[in-house]
Amino acid sequence: MPSSRFPIPQGTLDMLILRILSLDSVHGYGIAQRLQQISRDVVQVNQGSLYPALHRLEEKGWLKAEWRQSETGREAKFYALTPKGRKQLTVEKESWNRLADAVRLIFNEGD
Amino acid sequence: MAKILNLLPWRRNRKEQDLDRELRYHVDRRVDEMLGSGISEAPARRQARLEFGGIDEAKEEVRETWLWRWLDNGGRDLRYAARMLWRTPGFTATALISLALGVGANAAIFSLIDQVLIRALPVEEPERLVNLRWEGSSLSSGYGQGNRLSYPFCRDLQEQQFFEGTFCRYPITVNVSTGAQHDPVAGEVVSGSYFSTLGVHPQVGRLIEQSDDLQPGAHPVVVISYNYWRTEFGGTRDVVGRKVLVNNHPMTVIGVAPQGFRGTDMLANPRLWMPAMMMPQIDSELGRRTLDRRTVWMNVFGRLKAGVTMERTKAGLLLWFKAMLEADKHRDGFPTVTPEQYQRYLASTIDLLPAARGMSMRRSTLERPLLVLLGGTVLLLLLASLNVAGLLLARGAARSRELTTRMAIGATRSRIVGQLLVETMLLTVGGGVLGLMATPAVSQVLLAFLSPGNDLGSRIDYRVFLFALAVTMVAGVLCGLAPIFQSGRIPLMASLKDRARVAAGSGIWVRKMLVVGQMAFTLLLLIGAGLFVQTLGRLHSNVGFASGSLIMFGVDPPAMGYSEADSEKVMREVERRLRDMPGVESSAVANTRMLNGGWSDGGMTIQSNERFVTDRAVLWMRVGPGFLKTLGAQVIAGRDFEQHDVRPPETKSTPWRSVIVNESFARRYFKDRSPVGSRLGIGTGPNVKPDIEIIGVVKDFNRRNLRDEEIEHVFFPYWDRDTDNGTFYVKVRGSPDDAFASIRSLVRQIDPALPVGEPRTFEEQIDRSVWVERALATLSSGFGLTALLLSVVGLFGVMSFIVTNRTQEIGIRIALGATRAGTVWLIVRDVLIMIGAATAIALPVAWALSGLIQAQLFGLSAVDTPTIAIASCFLALVSLGAATLPAWRAASVNPIDALRVE
Repeated sequence: MPSSRFPIPQGTLDMLILRILSLDSVHGYGIAQRLQQISRDVVQVNQGSLYPALHRLEEKGWLKAEWRQSETGREAKFYALTPKGRKQLTVEKESWNRLADAVRLIFNEGD
Repeated sequence: MAKILNLLPWRRNRKEQDLDRELRYHVDRRVDEMLGSGISEAPARRQARLEFGGIDEAKEEVRETWLWRWLDNGGRDLRYAARMLWRTPGFTATALISLALGVGANAAIFSLIDQVLIRALPVEEPERLVNLRWEGSSLSSGYGQGNRLSYPFCRDLQEQQFFEGTFCRYPITVNVSTGAQHDPVAGEVVSGSYFSTLGVHPQVGRLIEQSDDLQPGAHPVVVISYNYWRTEFGGTRDVVGRKVLVNNHPMTVIGVAPQGFRGTDMLANPRLWMPAMMMPQIDSELGRRTLDRRTVWMNVFGRLKAGVTMERTKAGLLLWFKAMLEADKHRDGFPTVTPEQYQRYLASTIDLLPAARGMSMRRSTLERPLLVLLGGTVLLLLLASLNVAGLLLARGAARSRELTTRMAIGATRSRIVGQLLVETMLLTVGGGVLGLMATPAVSQVLLAFLSPGNDLGSRIDYRVFLFALAVTMVAGVLCGLAPIFQSGRIPLMASLKDRARVAAGSGIWVRKMLVVGQMAFTLLLLIGAGLFVQTLGRLHSNVGFASGSLIMFGVDPPAMGYSEADSEKVMREVERRLRDMPGVESSAVANTRMLNGGWSDGGMTIQSNERFVTDRAVLWMRVGPGFLKTLGAQVIAGRDFEQHDVRPPETKSTPWRSVIVNESFARRYFKDRSPVGSRLGIGTGPNVKPDIEIIGVVKDFNRRNLRDEEIEHVFFPYWDRDTDNGTFYVKVRGSPDDAFASIRSLVRQIDPALPVGEPRTFEEQIDRSVWVERALATLSSGFGLTALLLSVVGLFGVMSFIVTNRTQEIGIRIALGATRAGTVWLIVRDVLIMIGAATAIALPVAWALSGLIQAQLFGLSAVDTPTIAIASCFLALVSLGAATLPAWRAASVNPIDALRVE
């Protein structure tokens, strides 16, 4: 491995966000932290690109957002999955698994 | 809908603030975290920002996601709307045509109004131009039109410093020849200061300058218009130096005026400009008076000095003007007047009028009619919008199943309203574009009616475009309100359960109101059309004599360079040969063409038992023997001019010796006594000798314009003096065309180059004199019928819908024993109530608007009861006719079938 951290692959950020929000509603900062924890610092997420992604998913109707008091007492914008988003997560997970399987198959073929 | 609203500035702000707060929260949390691990504030903040990456870039990206989402939705709505419209071509076509008609008519009228009433002259700083008007008695004789002053007055003013520049102009038609043919061409006679004061620059060559206007007859130069240059001179630059014959007098073209310049009268279309000092060569009569201070003919304009108001300029000007009045008395040629007349002269003032739009007699004739027409088209547009609104509602009702189904599977109400709005928008924009495309054609038609003979443009410029846009938007809002109103009322559950019936029921009231509105507008337009049509008819029959088989043509030898004596010979020859021409019942000459908008008048002195002066100006014209007979005007006392009244050829011209007066003149000044044998003098001064014998009285007829009634008029003998040109009137037995052919060859035999001036039947002349009224009558009838058609369509739609909707109810009624007649009455009653409501709305409005059109009417009041009654009955009959089919359908409902539907 040339570097211990690599930029997140195109398209996977949406899936990761949906995955994180499938457990609980979280605000943007929390999502950024959670991303780092889950990926064990392997994946490097540019925090600046997180917000456009959140807004895009919101506009698509997969996320809904509301302003709520956060753990520090300040108001933060909390995101949560909509039923549509939850469905989307399943779809994405499946297609990811299929893709991953296929890729693994291809790499293992020569062995 | 919500998405569209998000584009509104304040909504946007809200979203921006939220985004700002959201990102700030992120950075602050990170800073707090680092503060907790002992890093101080400033570096922590720097570090947090660094980790985040560009905050502004992130914001920009977020904004993009909003926009895309919106565009995506919009695009989808648009495609959906287009598909839905495509699927109902009948509806779409009706709606599009209604709107296109409304927008097209409005844009076309506006285009004319813009050109005629709004636009300023295409010259430098037109807002500084003013027109000068003599207020009071000027003791002078006048030619031409508008506010007239003498040419020396204009030149005096040029020497003064009140204005940055002063110029004057006189419109005239001259015969121009560049080869063999002599054609009448409109031109302007102007002072040397004309072009420089206007700030107009030549397209080619140079324009008339001060040095071209110094000595009478010394400057044979002309400037031609851009269009004339292109059409008659091939648009080549070597036009400068070309010789042309103007009234058979050689003149040299020195340059071409810029494109779009039409002089100071935007409704005139002058093709050439000539220096005022060339007037003696151009027009012998006025030419003799060019430098006379008591002949007013020039329209005088000044350009205000920069920064000096009209009031200040006028104050200075008045002092000079008063001094001039005093000085004038001692000049040669000042008339002998009574002390009162002189006092009135001294009391004269001079007034300044804004002239940024130039000055046009035509404009004042067109102003009111154009505004009336604009009123008509606005009504038409409102009506068309209501019609489309009604159609949209009907369609909404028919689609309520589709809409409720979509709502049931999760579409938000705002989303559906948004979609309906997009549909309406697509319709209105489509209608607007179609309307705009039709505008040039429509304004061509309007122009053909409104201003024959001048080339007002029919093209669309940005102002017409903006106006059409505004009109389309108004129409869009009017139409768009309907679907919003309706979709707010779709009861979700009920609709799915009970088919379209319940949902539609709530909209029926609105649709009826829309149709009532349409019928009210239609009634207004119909009343207007009725009034204008009758006005035209009454004017037509107000000539005062039978004008059938009467034709006329002009002969103007001086315009071909003939001397006065030779001209008279030509005139006598034409008259003699006309008498002998086969197919001619009778013929006569007069000095002028009747009903051409011009006239001569003046005060007169009467000597009967006592001497007195007329209390107002008397119209006069000069006629040859047989003129009254040719017209068919009845001589009711005394006698007509006879052949023996004609001054013998080759003798010197004499003052008038006899005169015929009309009935109104006799009534006003002689009461029940006969004026025959009394005497008349021209003018009102103490030196006037009343020595012209009144030899006859003729019944009133109109010669100035058809609106005149009971105007005093006198007729002098043509052949006594000023016999060098005139108009011949001929009563023919055969077709006018044959007569014109014979007349042409007759004149050609005398001089092949002599043109036959404007050969016309008298009917054509009448038509020309009432062109404004004819245009109003035709166009308002067009508007009225279009309106009627639209509202009938609307009414038919609503009534059919009601019948469909109430089929079950009607079925039950019939099953319970209601008669067919009772069923029909159910529908007819609805229609009658709607007609009643429309009439109740329209009549007060008609009454309120009557003041605006009264001036355009003739012989009847704007609240003429028969007209209003007939228009109302007509509307009622047609409306009931439109309801026949739905009523018949209601009557033939089969109760069994109707109930089975349930």
